[in-house]
Formats: sequence, C-alpha cells, structure tokens
Amino acid sequence: MPDEKFADRSWPYWTVPSTVDIEGVTTAYRRKGQGETAIYLHGEKGTRAWLPLHEALAETFDVIAPEHPGYGDTERHPDQSDFVDLVLHYDAFLRALDVERPHLIGTSLGAWIAVNLAIHFPGRFASITLITPHGVRIVDDEFIDMFRFPYEEEAAALFNDREDRVAGELEQEGGVEDILTGIAENATAALLYWNPRYDIKLDRRLQRVSIPSLVIAAEDDRIVGNRQAARYAELLPNSSYLEIPGPDGAPSSHGVIFEQPHEIAQAITRFTAASTPTHVA
Amino acid sequence: MDIPASNAVPTDKPVEFFAMAESAYPNIPYSGQKKSKSIYVDMPNGYFDPIQGQRNLETEMETLVSFEKHGFDGAMLTEQHNGPIGGTPSVLAAASYLAAKTERIKIVAAGPLMNAYQSPIRLAEEIALIDTLSRGRLVVGLPMGLGQQYHGLGMNPATARERHAEGVELLIKALSQPGPFTWRGKYFNHNYVNVWPQPAHPIEFILPSGGSIETLGVAAKYRFAYQSVLSQRGMLVSTFNTFRDLCRKEGYEPDPRQSTFVVEVHVAETDEIARQEAGATYVWNYQNWFRAHAADSYPPGYTSARSMRGILGGNYQIGMEKITLQDIIDNKWAIIGSPETVTAGLEEVIRETGIGRVMLNFSTGIKPRWMLQKTVGLFAEQVLPKFRPAGVPLSDTDPRYGYRTTLEYQAKRRKDVPAPSILRDGYLQDVHKLASPGVDARIRPWKGDDEEIIA
Repeated sequence: MPDEKFADRSWPYWTVPSTVDIEGVTTAYRRKGQGETAIYLHGEKGTRAWLPLHEALAETFDVIAPEHPGYGDTERHPDQSDFVDLVLHYDAFLRALDVERPHLIGTSLGAWIAVNLAIHFPGRFASITLITPHGVRIVDDEFIDMFRFPYEEEAAALFNDREDRVAGELEQEGGVEDILTGIAENATAALLYWNPRYDIKLDRRLQRVSIPSLVIAAEDDRIVGNRQAARYAELLPNSSYLEIPGPDGAPSSHGVIFEQPHEIAQAITRFTAASTPTHVA
Repeated sequence: MDIPASNAVPTDKPVEFFAMAESAYPNIPYSGQKKSKSIYVDMPNGYFDPIQGQRNLETEMETLVSFEKHGFDGAMLTEQHNGPIGGTPSVLAAASYLAAKTERIKIVAAGPLMNAYQSPIRLAEEIALIDTLSRGRLVVGLPMGLGQQYHGLGMNPATARERHAEGVELLIKALSQPGPFTWRGKYFNHNYVNVWPQPAHPIEFILPSGGSIETLGVAAKYRFAYQSVLSQRGMLVSTFNTFRDLCRKEGYEPDPRQSTFVVEVHVAETDEIARQEAGATYVWNYQNWFRAHAADSYPPGYTSARSMRGILGGNYQIGMEKITLQDIIDNKWAIIGSPETVTAGLEEVIRETGIGRVMLNFSTGIKPRWMLQKTVGLFAEQVLPKFRPAGVPLSDTDPRYGYRTTLEYQAKRRKDVPAPSILRDGYLQDVHKLASPGVDARIRPWKGDDEEIIA
C-alpha cells in the first residue's frame, strides 16, 4: 500500500503524492495552488518531489504535477512503448481529474509529451510552455548521447559544472539507490526514444499547435544541445522564444528548472497573462 | 567465495575443445587517456589501416583453419561491432569462409546478434545456408550482445530481452518445423515463414549468459548449451549447477557439452617463458579491452533492476588500469604457463565446473602472429594429446552430415520429391529425362487436375 512505501522517505522536497487509477495504472501526482490550472509535465529528472519550481508556479496557478508512467511512483502500463501510450494515459488522467482547458508546461521529455498532447487535442489546452525541450530532428547537430554519461559525469553536464550547488537537493535515497532509480526511469525513456532520438513527424505536426506557445531555452544546454529549443520555436506557429540568463553571468544549464525556478515561473506567468484572453487571479 | 561442488554426473565422455584466436585491431591509443573513446562504440575508424586489418583478419582465419589439422574439435568465431575490439562484425559471413577451407572441424559462430537482425528469419536463412555449405558442421551462439553494442548499433536495450526471447522461439521453429507458417508475435509478424534451404543437420545452439534464471530456463528447455560469461570461479560453478538442475527438471540429463565457457590460455616451454613472452598481452587485455564504464555496459533496461543492484554493489568501478599479470593468474582469468601447468589448469577447470566443452581463447588479437602460432602449435603437440588418448579428434566419431561424393549423393537424396516438370504432348514430363533422347520422360497424362501439394 502507498503509505507503507512512503513511510521512510525524508529527502529534500519529498511530499506524499495523491494517486488515481488510470486504466489499471496507479498514477501519482501532486496538486497545489489557486487560479487557472496548469499541468506540469516533468523531464527525465526531478520525480518524487514537490520542487521549488512547482511551489513558485503554485503562486499563480492551480498546479497539477503528475508522474509519467514509468517514472517516480507511477508504474508503467503493461505494453507501454510509445508517445501515443502517454497521450492516451494523460487524456484519461485529465478526464479523471475533470480538468478543462489547462495550461501545459513541460520540461525536456515532459515538453515532448506536452506537444504530443497539444497535437492530438488542438482545442483542449489554453497555452503550452516548453522548457529545454528535445524531440525534433536536427540533422547536423553535434551529438550528445544522454544515455552514455558515466554516472559521475551526468550531474556536471546537467548543471554546467555547478552541480555542487544543487546536487544535495536532488539526492534522494543516495548512492547506488539513486543510480538504480535513474536507470529504471531511463529505461522508460529508452522505450520512448532510444531509436530514433527524435520524431521526424513533428516537422509537420507542430503546425497543429496554434495555441500560444512559449519555448524556454538554456544558454548552454549540455544535455540536449543548443538547437532544439530554437527549432521548436521555429516550427510552432504561435511561439515566443526566451533564453533564461544564467546565475552570476554564467550560462544557464539544462538543469535550469532546478537552478533558477523563480525566473522560470515568472516567465511563464508573464507569458500566460499576456497571451490568454481571460486571466483569473 | 568458496567454490561449491559441481553437480555434474561423472562421465567418460571426452571434453570437447573449441578454439579461437580473435582479430582485435590493437593499434589505437591507450584506453587510460583522458579523452579516451570506447573501443566498443566510438573509437574513430580513422585509425584503421586496411593493410593491418587484412593482417589481423588473415591471422585469425588462417589460425582457425589450422585448428583442424591440429586436431581441435571446433574453430570458434566471435562477433564484435563498432570498433577495434574484433575484426569480424558478421560471424556468419566469416563462418562461410571457414566452411570452404575446412572439412571436418565444427564451425562455431558465437555468435550473431539476434537483435541486430530485422527478423530472426534473416538469421535462419544464413544459418541454413552456411550449415549446408559446411555439410552440417555449424554451431551457433545466440548472445544478447554487449550493452555497448546497443549504443553502437542503435538496438533498443529496453526491449532487448523480450525481443531476443521471441526471436529465439521463432528461429528454432523456422529451422525445425515445416513451413509455410505464420508468426503473430509482439516483435515479429510474418505471413510466410518458409525458410529455404533448411539446415543440413540439427543445429547445436549455445546461449551465452551471466546466468539469469530466465536464460538458464530457456537453455534447459531448448537443450541449448549454456555458456557462462561470468569470471568468478565460484559463481561459475553455481550457475552451471543451477543449469544442470533445470535440465533435469525438464526431464533429461544434460549432455556435458551443454556446459561451457571461455578459458584464456597461453602455453610456452616453461612457466617463466610463458609469462615473459605473453604477460604484457594479458595485461593489455584487461587494461584496454575489458574496460568500460557501467553506463556503457548496462544501458537502461538491458539488465534487470536486481542484477543491476548486484553489479553496482560489487565494485564495478574496480580499477582495471591497475591490474597486474599476477592478479590475472590468481583470479584464474587466464591459464599461462608450461604444458604441464596448462594441462593441470584445464583439468582443474573441468573438474571444478563439470563442463564438457572448453572454449580456448588463444588471443584477443593482441599477440603477434609468431607468438600466436607458437603457442597454438605447442598446445596442439603437448597439451591437447593429454586429453585425447585415442589420438584422434572427436569429429572422427561424431556423426557426419551431407554427402562427400556423387555416389553418396545418389544414395542419400530423397526420391519422393516431384520431378521438375513441363507439359508436352498431353503429358506431364520430367525435364531432366527429356534431355536424353529415347528415354520415356512421361510422368502421367495431364487432365488439368492439381496434384496434391505436400503439406
């Protein structure tokens, strides 16, 4: 039972999630805040926590932060293998929570899932924000293999060598256990995008996402490179593009949501206020 | 760890010796350098000199061919990809070379990567072809592939085991059940599984594995050989014992040859000469070849969470860069010494593990050609005979397949298959007989009916 599993957890930002059964999959999610509903779709890291970014967003939005099947405390669907599986899962999730016209916010893999939702349900979302996204095909980019980082080098790449400042915040069970959790979650990612590392059909399908869109990029992204965000902004018909300035003049990193959550939350709040016709405080 | 007792049933059956000499391309930077690339994934192929590559490959092939004259039981090939780790990225293509150049020795393709094929049917076809060309001498390994190969070739590690398992099932059926039949699987969908040619003999398969219970179960069920890839002697014995018990649960006593693993050997005139001559090459293997970080060796989903916990818990980061020859000898990762030392070492291996088949590795490709030929020659003259009191290789008494002469062809070929036929003068007539004047080629009058097709 969930309570037993959660009893010994005391790491930074840990909170007990709510759960809802989605087609047989016990789905963990966290919810807090007031205002228009925003669905926050996490990236490859940052599960099992109510992060400072969530908290900052909750000042303006009713934030719902689910954990994708195969991440955190949400198990995988038995035959899960592609993005359509996740689209169908989130369709059911949104109906189960009776959510109408939410804003979509996604980071990294979460952004890729978010665009798939917006592509499949063009009228269902009020806006979409992509933070350090990946998933579009870029032919001549320098290849960064996110599945080959030696464990001890991954944090440095995520935080542009500033990992000492944040690593303690991300440590959960510590040591080997955290590596094992990461490997299991990465297996879910591998099912989705080991080969190919991009969706060639986004080139044409993103035109269906005509709702207001914001693409937030890091200045020096050492995980997904520096071309993905710009290309998404190019392909989305109604987009703004924003680079978050890094801390103390150093370039921001792929881990910008951990390093600079308030700047991110402010940018999203400004964007939704400016782009959506009715903003209920 | 203590070495448990082997539960192999004592047997008079002589131990079978497969032998290999791989074709690594060693002219690459030392792997301890800071910006080192992986020899399994992204070592730039700009280092490759076609002349040196030819030398390495020819040395492997010629050594493998020579094993037949020396009296070994199998010439073994391994498959490597994406780097200087080995010279034969298609073990079956290389096996066809051996099929042409040898007569009796088993050809051990160990082994093609099931998951690198679009479908196991492609693999089945190649197996059937080379088994026919070799007259029924092919033995096939079915490895999962190294984790690094999933990075290098782009196969998905998260589906690797499931896909491999379905592939094995389909492969076996394609090579043993009459076609055409359909296959409606999760990973493979075929409308017409109908492999032509069929193999010349019942193929022996080998399943290399770290010894997961699931894999051992598959090997036991299909009567494959289990090749352990573990290096710690106690764990090796433990998994062989488990495997043998699983075979017994399936209702049969396993053939001793169903248990096997690779033993690295180097024999010279004395222990001291052996160490002096080859010591550095073994250290090279461990400092350069067997070095990979865990994220490369274990891409996500490649191995179970439980196995991964064991791997990460047990010193996966142990510095191979500090390894010495004595470490290698003490851990029994290689048997290096005089003919007496090597003979005793092999006898100990066989006794402790109960294996009925030894895969001797004479070189990963690092030994210079003169050294390789010297050690193979010495082994064949002074070690192998200790295991062959009758003075003949096992193939002398193993069954033979195919035919060797036109006489044998005529005697053995099936007489119940249709003659190639045409319609002429109202009769179905035999094309081959029509070539000779005066011979009655008529089969039967043609009434427009359909002869029953053999099911």
